[in-house]
Amino acid sequence: MHTKTLKVMVISIIIMLTIQGTAAASGPFGPPQPVSRPAGGLHTGFGYWLQEDKLKDNNEEYISRQQQIYSELGYGFQKNWDLYARVGLSGLKLFDAFSPTTTATTTSKNDFSENWKFFTTLGAKGFYPVHPAFGIGAFVQGSYYFSDFTDNTTGTRNGAPFTIELGLKNLWDVSAGIGFQATIPWGINLYVGPYVYYTETKVAPSANITGLALTAGETTLKNNTVFGGFAGIDAPLSRGFRLQIEGKYADRLSGGAAITYSY
Amino acid sequence: MPQKAVPSMKSYLFGVTLLCVVLAAGCAHKPAVVSDPASSAAAPPAQQVMAAPKAEPSPPPSPEVSVKAVSGNLDDYQDIEDPDKGKEVEKVTIADPLEPFNRAMFQFNDKLYFWFLKPVAQGYSKVVPEPARVGVSNFYTNLSFPIRFVNSLLQANFAGAASELGRFIINTVWGIGGLLDPAASKEIDLKKQRADFGQTLGVYGVGQGFYIHWPLLGPSSPRDTVGIVGDIFLYPSIYLGPWEVWAGARVYERFNDTSLRIGDYESLKEAAIDPYVAVRDAYVQYRLNMIKHKGGPPPPGVKGLLENN
Repeated sequence: MHTKTLKVMVISIIIMLTIQGTAAASGPFGPPQPVSRPAGGLHTGFGYWLQEDKLKDNNEEYISRQQQIYSELGYGFQKNWDLYARVGLSGLKLFDAFSPTTTATTTSKNDFSENWKFFTTLGAKGFYPVHPAFGIGAFVQGSYYFSDFTDNTTGTRNGAPFTIELGLKNLWDVSAGIGFQATIPWGINLYVGPYVYYTETKVAPSANITGLALTAGETTLKNNTVFGGFAGIDAPLSRGFRLQIEGKYADRLSGGAAITYSY
Repeated sequence: MPQKAVPSMKSYLFGVTLLCVVLAAGCAHKPAVVSDPASSAAAPPAQQVMAAPKAEPSPPPSPEVSVKAVSGNLDDYQDIEDPDKGKEVEKVTIADPLEPFNRAMFQFNDKLYFWFLKPVAQGYSKVVPEPARVGVSNFYTNLSFPIRFVNSLLQANFAGAASELGRFIINTVWGIGGLLDPAASKEIDLKKQRADFGQTLGVYGVGQGFYIHWPLLGPSSPRDTVGIVGDIFLYPSIYLGPWEVWAGARVYERFNDTSLRIGDYESLKEAAIDPYVAVRDAYVQYRLNMIKHKGGPPPPGVKGLLENN
């Protein structure tokens, strides 16, 4: 039995490592097994997540970075089903969004940046324990940002000054994946898995400035490749609290940590 | 889930008082007469009410009288040794020079409760399920954290202040902004402190003075009335902006709390020979216990009944 479990784990890790992608999904996925108590019940959490993506429109590729703090509320049902919701605040930076592509254009800054926008995430997961120390789970989650991110810059075009405002509207993402979980002594859960992911946001410039790629007109930024991999550790603390540390890697590395409490 | 206190007229009638006083004052941000969850006028415990002495129409001559009697170990028949007889028995009363006025206000508050607050709270409880109402109560309790925290510090109750700070952080972060109360779980077990400014004054030796039964607010004393004013400035909702917002929030809080305690006041009234005297004496005893224990757990016999903040 142990040999079989070990084989499944090794194969899972190989699958995860061989999958290549260019994007990572927003927020942690958490361990496949719900953190609620075995009989079910509420759990809450508070976490921080640093997310990096590569977003592309038809012509250019931009690196985005989000820093999120969030509060989570979940309800675990018996037989390892879990629904959860998160509400949080996120900042967004889009590198080189204002970088000129011609020498005739200059800008006062290169990066788009705005902080503290509300977002919410809804998710569900199910877990199947193959062995007392090993199990497989699946999840799906999606996030939506209630507010638009906006930033502006000033510059010159052929010596004439201009001010341009850029808006990133209707940012959302959806993710789904499979997780493999192993429980080691002290109740620590290790988990890895592959996932698929899609995100997009509309870019809305206030004017068209020649030499600034993102101001050419309304366009959509989205991730190009949809596959990624994640891994994490879920460790019990004391008095009902648990610590989760998770990382994702696709084209760029993302990661974060959360502390949950199970009622 | 928090244990709710036995109702006091002050608690039940706080919201309307607030609204009325604010309206009468006509000042948006001046927190006139306000009782907060940590206010001095706590609910009288049922046990104490049942054991309360009979009505005493005339007040004691001194502003505050504490009578201590120590007897031997024999019982009343002087033949069987009674282990409890050797303990110090303490009876605390308070001067009541305004008794005619106080009794009138007691009756006024009583009618207001039965004719207005209770029906409204009953209707509210039909619409809103109990878990939601408990969540609202938890939220308001969490919001009044500064009152308990600062007064614990003022009383040099540093363990209590640390406990309050821990409760606030845990309940805010992992209790969905205070709607849940994980800090009270068996595993975490951080006790909610009973601390207010009137109690702080009492810890520093300020006497209660005489008994006042405020219209709408209920039982109090000059010291505790001053304490209410001090607590107002530690209650975050008064900084919410327009007075309608925080007044509405406080009135709603009182209706919500009342909906969780319907029946308690009725039981208290039925159990007492003279409800006015029972409430008065229970109030004085409760405040004395609060000062003695400096926010710690209630003394035996009243545990879980008196926490109102």
